[in-house]
Amino acid sequence: MSAVATAIEPVEPFDAEPLDAGASGGAVVRRAVVVAGVPVVAVAAALAVGALLIAREGANPLAVYGEVLRGVFVAPRGLRNTAIGATPLVLMGLGLAIAYRARLFTIGAEGQFVLGAVVATAVATAGGVRDLPGWLLVPACIVIAAATGLVWSSISALLANRFNTSIVISSLLLTYVATAAMQWMIRVPIKDPASFVPASRVIGNAALPTVPGLHVHLGFLIAVALVPVAWLLMSRTRFGFRVDVVGHNPIALRANELPAGRMVVAVLALVGLLSGVAGYVQVAGVTDRINAEFSVDLGYTAIIVALLGRLHPLGVLLAGLGLAGLGIGFDVAERTHQLPSTLVGVIQAMIIIFVVVGDAVVVRLRARQERG
Amino acid sequence: MPPPPRQRATPEAVRASGVRKHFGRVVALRDVDVVLRAGEVHALLGENGAGKTTLVRILAGLEQRDAGTLTFAGEQVGDLDARAARRRGVALVQQHFTLVPTLTASENLVLARPRGHFLPTGRVAGQRLAALVERFGLAVRDGVPVAQLSVGEQQRLEILRALDADARVLLLDEPTAVLTGDEAAGLLAVCRRLADEGRAVVIITHRLGEVIDGCDRVTVLRDGEVVLADEPVAAHSVTTLADAMIGRHVPPVASTARVPTLPADAPVRLAVQGLSRGRLRDVSFTVRAGEVLGVAGVDGNGQAELEEVLAGLAAPDAGTATLDGAPLPHGAPRERIARGIAYIPSDRYRTALVRPMSLADNVELGRGRRWRPRRRVRRDAIADRLAAWQVRAAGPGAPVRSLSGGNAQKLVLARELAEEPQLVVTCHPTRGLDPGAAATVAERLLDAAARGAAVVWMGAELEEVLAVSHRVIVLSHGRLTGTFSPPFDRQAIGRAMGGAS
Amino acid sequence: MDVVLSVATLSAGVRLALPVALAALGALLCERAGVLNLGIEGLMVSGALAGYLVTDATGSPWVGLLAGLLTGAVCGAVLALVVVGLGANQIVTGLAFTLMAVAATSFIFQLSFGIGQNPPRIERIGMPALIVLTLVVLAAIIVVLRGTVAGLVVAAVGEAPVAADALGYHVARTRYVATIAGSAIAALAGAVLVCGPLGLFIQNVTAGRGWVALALVVFAGWRPLPCALGALLFGLCDAVQLRLQGTSTEIPYEVFLALPYVVTLVALVLRGRNSRTPAALGVPFDRRLA
Repeated sequence: MSAVATAIEPVEPFDAEPLDAGASGGAVVRRAVVVAGVPVVAVAAALAVGALLIAREGANPLAVYGEVLRGVFVAPRGLRNTAIGATPLVLMGLGLAIAYRARLFTIGAEGQFVLGAVVATAVATAGGVRDLPGWLLVPACIVIAAATGLVWSSISALLANRFNTSIVISSLLLTYVATAAMQWMIRVPIKDPASFVPASRVIGNAALPTVPGLHVHLGFLIAVALVPVAWLLMSRTRFGFRVDVVGHNPIALRANELPAGRMVVAVLALVGLLSGVAGYVQVAGVTDRINAEFSVDLGYTAIIVALLGRLHPLGVLLAGLGLAGLGIGFDVAERTHQLPSTLVGVIQAMIIIFVVVGDAVVVRLRARQERG
Repeated sequence: MPPPPRQRATPEAVRASGVRKHFGRVVALRDVDVVLRAGEVHALLGENGAGKTTLVRILAGLEQRDAGTLTFAGEQVGDLDARAARRRGVALVQQHFTLVPTLTASENLVLARPRGHFLPTGRVAGQRLAALVERFGLAVRDGVPVAQLSVGEQQRLEILRALDADARVLLLDEPTAVLTGDEAAGLLAVCRRLADEGRAVVIITHRLGEVIDGCDRVTVLRDGEVVLADEPVAAHSVTTLADAMIGRHVPPVASTARVPTLPADAPVRLAVQGLSRGRLRDVSFTVRAGEVLGVAGVDGNGQAELEEVLAGLAAPDAGTATLDGAPLPHGAPRERIARGIAYIPSDRYRTALVRPMSLADNVELGRGRRWRPRRRVRRDAIADRLAAWQVRAAGPGAPVRSLSGGNAQKLVLARELAEEPQLVVTCHPTRGLDPGAAATVAERLLDAAARGAAVVWMGAELEEVLAVSHRVIVLSHGRLTGTFSPPFDRQAIGRAMGGAS
Repeated sequence: MDVVLSVATLSAGVRLALPVALAALGALLCERAGVLNLGIEGLMVSGALAGYLVTDATGSPWVGLLAGLLTGAVCGAVLALVVVGLGANQIVTGLAFTLMAVAATSFIFQLSFGIGQNPPRIERIGMPALIVLTLVVLAAIIVVLRGTVAGLVVAAVGEAPVAADALGYHVARTRYVATIAGSAIAALAGAVLVCGPLGLFIQNVTAGRGWVALALVVFAGWRPLPCALGALLFGLCDAVQLRLQGTSTEIPYEVFLALPYVVTLVALVLRGRNSRTPAALGVPFDRRLA
């Protein structure tokens, strides 16, 4: 049996509602409450606990949260930085949301992110290439990064199909290999000769242009534009339909549509594609080059974003912006109120913990209710 | 040559009286009395769903009876759980083994009855197994994971495990279903020996030959009731037993179904030749346009494999199956659907439906184009179809898990039969349905035949199969043991089901 | 070549291997019972912080180790509650827990020792004692898994919970115990890291070793002794790549960084259909579906 979960109706509480199930008014409202309600309650609870921690530090929680909001919405670069911070999370989150709907719990986005960035940078900074004009380089790099991530992620899919290996494990291992490869690349082949520490050359012409008026790089627009695309993909295409089916009942998929293995490859390829692009976007829009500090676990944070976003494209966008905004806002607030810089991490972690536990409780309650 | 009848009264090991059990609205056992005596091999006979497994599970404490008394060696018991039953010496060997596949035989033995907290060394455990093997003459290999043992060996291990616990009442559920002819004979011999040593041995079976050859007494269940209670086998023949097993009970479908007339010159559409796969061996038959071919036989005799091949889920190991001359597709659901092969599976929630998804989505399964219309449009589009097929639900957007069994099955029909099917493969289509839904389902399937489809109807309830079919074939031990046309000779069919060709 | 075989490198390899070996043994215990514990990294860092703080407070690193152990047990109980009791998705829960643990330990550490303050060095336990400790844990796990009925039950619960249940064993309870014990050992690994030669706690002190431990369990085929040996291999590769970073050689040190993971992947592939993966790994057990 393939690495896709074989339980027909897993008792897993991670009940990602198919985008399309719902009946009359009451049921729709009820489901909306559950789908959106759990994260809302989780955020509120996390903020409440956060308030306690803040108070313990001697600061006024309301003032701090006010400062957070100010840091995002009022401060000169608040919104812009939020958008920039959210971009990789949303790009990867969109792919991961689809994968998790199919119950393919890949945790390798980080590796695909890094590898996509490295390969695209390698090409963009190569001898004859780096002087090519931007309008040529940028799309080319996007394609290259996408292809790299796609290939890397597909390894997990192929291993799962042929050898029945766990996607979780193989994607994790591949991430380590990718990170090692990146470290070598920036130290040897694509190292900037002018730099003392291992780092690639500056991306130069392949840098993402800034969107006039919005002051954010093109990557953010791409991410936002992909949200309705993802939504269309899931709700209006056969592919999206099959993703939901394979997630809930791969046996029915095999009997009526196509072998589950093909979906595994397609979905994981999509994750890799988006993660690779996210990597390139991060270099080309934010860091300008790749150095040893390039990997900050954005690939793992994107998993959190996908979960918080309830595996729905719009949710992913909101969760990405929210999480990034929380970070930006707290950056300001922590400095103003002299709070430990690790506080925001705790609050973010609490949000996801409460969501996970809340989901589990809700599913258990619903199951008990259905059994009557 | 039946064994000489036992004259002396043997002590009662177990007596069950008035046992009743229901699952939801389904009544599994209705006022069942059964007596098991030490020293006897007692056959529990009946068709699928007659209640045999439920009864023994109650005796073994795995299910709780709703009413009735249980007496073990003269002592009445109240609630009986698995542990208590084991302490009373009751052991059940089920159809699905409860062995841990990665452990060895001796490890499984120790797991079942550990002595102390520490494991015996490999050698000691092996000796324990060897002693049992020696004593009971049941050969089981040690030292390899149980998964690598043959089915027969695994079963012998299950029995050894039960005997290790000093079982006085041994209940075997369809033990010969997974055995070859020789192995089955060997097992019966073992049962005889165990009974001779003073145990009460119960064999659930549907194989009439085994009952006659290997058992002392027989109780026949039908639809949860006892129709033949604790009679000596010597007083019966295959015929009388078959008769008792099948009986004259008429399910609602049988009374209302109207089989369409079959034109004499209807062409052959489905041709199966020498088909073999798994248990299925060398099966050949044809089905004509507009004909309903019933497949009778107790589950486990090759029906699942036949279903798989006809529905295109698997390729045959040998032989051919063609529809209108072209081979049946396998592994390609879209081709199956394009060729007009409708599949209404035995396990609808596993293979045909996705429970959390909506009715509209489920109707789209296997059909539908690359671009889907908006949700509202999709739902409106099927609203008519749902009404036409009498699927009652809260709405096209309701999840399938909110449907009753009958409506879920009607939904499957609404999908599979909507576009002029050429071949209809259906298995137990009315299982678990209330009479009204069952009648509707049968009606629709016969309707498809009337419009020219070839219909293969696999069922376990014989009367139903007989009521809806133009012809009936019987599968037993994977082989086709008989082809019957109306008027149906039930005794002959019963014999064919029991394995007699 | 002389780099690899130098005594310094070998002893560094052993030193690096110990915490990973312990963490892997803890993960192994959980996984044998069918619980995929992705919280190992979080448990390690929790145990590390607990070990550090308690050692600092009491002056005894052995008490610190005990604190790490207990912290792991408590966290393990919480994990088990969510994953076994509520039947939550094990992957998601493990990830969330690790995230929480990493964030919380960073927070608590920062509160305790602020910016500008130099976190004090603590009393350390010497390598020989730690090696003995690790070997004791290894021996204990081998004895339990291979020599006791409890170990057999754990194997049964992880492979065929339906069968174990039919035999009268309590699947959920077994998983609780295995998860708590395994988590405790994983946290102990973190405490060993901190109370050993390192002697202090820094942000990101575990540096992903918990994830390495998970890979190690797969590499070792869910058997304790290969786990320890594999940890040695990982540790050696780690030591070699650290050594090579200082020198300029033909072979890039990153090869040794990636080598253990590549080998694990290959091992996974080769095992393929004969995988020793506990069949019920990651699947919540519901008696009603049995």
